[in-house]
Amino acid sequence: MSFLQANCPSCAAQIEFKSGSSIVIVCPFCRSAVARTDRALEDLGKVAEIMQSQSPLRVGLHGMWNNQRFELTGRAQIRHQLGGVWDEWYATFGNGWVGWLAEAQGKFYLTFYQPLPQGTQIPSFTDLQLGQNIPQIPAKSPLMVAEKGVAASIAAEGEIPYKLVPNEQSEYADLAGKGGVFGTIDYGMTPPFVFIGQEVTLAELGWADMKPAERKAPKVAAAGIGCPNCGGPLSLQEPDSSERVTCPNCDSLLDVNQGKLTWLKALKPKPDAEQFALQIGAKGTFADGKEMTILGAVVRSVLVEGIKYYWHEYLLYNPAIGFRWLVQSDNHWSFVEPVNVADVVGMGSTADFNGKTFKLFQDAPATVEYVKGEFYWRVEQGETVRAIDYVKAPLMLSNEMSADEMNFSLGTYMTTAEVEKAFNLEEPLPKPWNVAPNQPFTGSFYYTWGFAFVGILFLIALLMIPFGGFSSTPLNQSLTLQPLPNATGSNPAFSQPFELKGNRNIRITMDAPVNNSWASFDVDLVNEANNEVESVPIDIEFYSGVDGGESWSEGSRNQDVSLSSVPAGKYVLRVDGQWQNWQQPLPVTVKVEQNISRGMNFCCAFVLLLIFPLVSIIRKWLFESNRWSESMFSTSGSDDDSDSYDSSNDENAFGDQEHIQTIFDKKKI
Amino acid sequence: MLKKLYLVFGIGVIGLYSLGSWFGWELANSGRNSRLGTPFFFSGGYRGGK
Repeated sequence: MSFLQANCPSCAAQIEFKSGSSIVIVCPFCRSAVARTDRALEDLGKVAEIMQSQSPLRVGLHGMWNNQRFELTGRAQIRHQLGGVWDEWYATFGNGWVGWLAEAQGKFYLTFYQPLPQGTQIPSFTDLQLGQNIPQIPAKSPLMVAEKGVAASIAAEGEIPYKLVPNEQSEYADLAGKGGVFGTIDYGMTPPFVFIGQEVTLAELGWADMKPAERKAPKVAAAGIGCPNCGGPLSLQEPDSSERVTCPNCDSLLDVNQGKLTWLKALKPKPDAEQFALQIGAKGTFADGKEMTILGAVVRSVLVEGIKYYWHEYLLYNPAIGFRWLVQSDNHWSFVEPVNVADVVGMGSTADFNGKTFKLFQDAPATVEYVKGEFYWRVEQGETVRAIDYVKAPLMLSNEMSADEMNFSLGTYMTTAEVEKAFNLEEPLPKPWNVAPNQPFTGSFYYTWGFAFVGILFLIALLMIPFGGFSSTPLNQSLTLQPLPNATGSNPAFSQPFELKGNRNIRITMDAPVNNSWASFDVDLVNEANNEVESVPIDIEFYSGVDGGESWSEGSRNQDVSLSSVPAGKYVLRVDGQWQNWQQPLPVTVKVEQNISRGMNFCCAFVLLLIFPLVSIIRKWLFESNRWSESMFSTSGSDDDSDSYDSSNDENAFGDQEHIQTIFDKKKI
Repeated sequence: MLKKLYLVFGIGVIGLYSLGSWFGWELANSGRNSRLGTPFFFSGGYRGGK
């Protein structure tokens, strides 16, 4: 590597350009940005010192990308017009490539300069609209505008591959494509420069074991600053990334500028804003095992049909993974993570993400009512964005849209027990009420298993047909019962012996030619081997006649009874009884069948097994009714359809930009 | 706990049905004048000789 050594035009200290692609070097002695030109070195002005950060990266670090070694040769800190600061690292590859590694909110994006074909026209910054596709820029997947803004380089170190002018503002647009494809249009150049790449992990850059830089959270009060309004002490958890902090002593909202605090306004808590259930600074461990600290808390509201609904959001931070949110609404909880804008398809009555279809639940302006703690953006009371929520329990896909930025996030429902466990709380959290938009129905176990049981029941019933065998008729005989000695007397008759098999149910059918009379029989199934008797009563009555010219009949001349199985063996039937015309003999027919398909056992089991799933389905129906009664788009509750729109035919996730903007303007409070 | 109890209940019902089918147990008498409510352990029990 050839070095260019020179003296700093500002302080005359020796500086050296190690990379041939470097345009600017920051003098390590006087912090002047020194540019090399064809003729001489040019002093572009002083840059601020890099703000302390927990970034695991540092200038001089070596990494690997696509089997190419690179070195981080420079770094700039860029401030968004709304206050957020992100880092850009410049990766100089051995083969001459220069990569831009952006680090923002715990995410990393590696991009490379992408020369556009001759004559390519990309929209101007003012013409650019959020959600607009930019097909002119070739990339692995179509790119859309996710953010546009104005930013300035406020601090730098090392070597920079472009002419970095300290604090010079330039316009940019961030582009997003499916699968983490990422791009930036830098309107600071003419024509604009385009950088294309993708979101990367530290592991993909050869830094799998890298951990956040260790540093103490400086306590501003210890430095003798404190709250500029009341003088009370306050501490900053993340002074390098915080833009706003509230004073816990006087409830003032303060601006944070590299540790310097400026009083902005006194916060006015809404009278119905509840106390926060979790404390600022509390640490919680979530599903991925990462410990996250609560940096700030916000009370937000949404105005629907003249009624304000409030909820709380907690800003969580871990230097290794960035910012997350914990949302508390009606004491229901959701853990919220950002998702790639371009991975969301469609934004009409449904939206698709990660192979799942989400249903539109709410579309309304969300307003910041009260803040506490510190924030990475310049939060304001009254700050309003358009918030669109789609649900597929236990997930909620949310789109927050301002004039210059769109963000999608994915919330996952958490039970209060899970939140209590995550934060190791000793006091229980308040119990939730209502049904949360993304609350999963927990009773599905009962109908899932209930219907599985019913299915198994049918299967067993079918299997029993071939395994149990078919029905048989061991006895079918006519008997004549002799006249009785008196009306209550007895004169039994016996059938011929017959064989009964074990483990088979039995049906005894009696047929008696009664006519406008009755007969009552005691039928005994007698085991010839041991004289054990199974006795059943059978009553027969049959009446008929003509009444008013119409014939009628009642009863039947035959009846049957069913019995459980008896031990296998030889049996006879003993038939005794009384009948109305006891003075006359009564001819009867008796039939004994085995292995009959009766269905009573099946029906009873079927009804028993169906009770739980049916109750569960009714509960689920009520649960879903409650859930959707809270939605602006429920069939029962969406009286005002003017708020809804259908952009299912739109080419990208954001549909008709003009239409969206109209709705946003209409909904601004 | 409730879920486990429900599983035991469901398996029990299916188990009883299977046993009943296999061994020829009838839950209740039938016929046109159904004697529902007479469980098999009454109708199927031996009452001794007459």
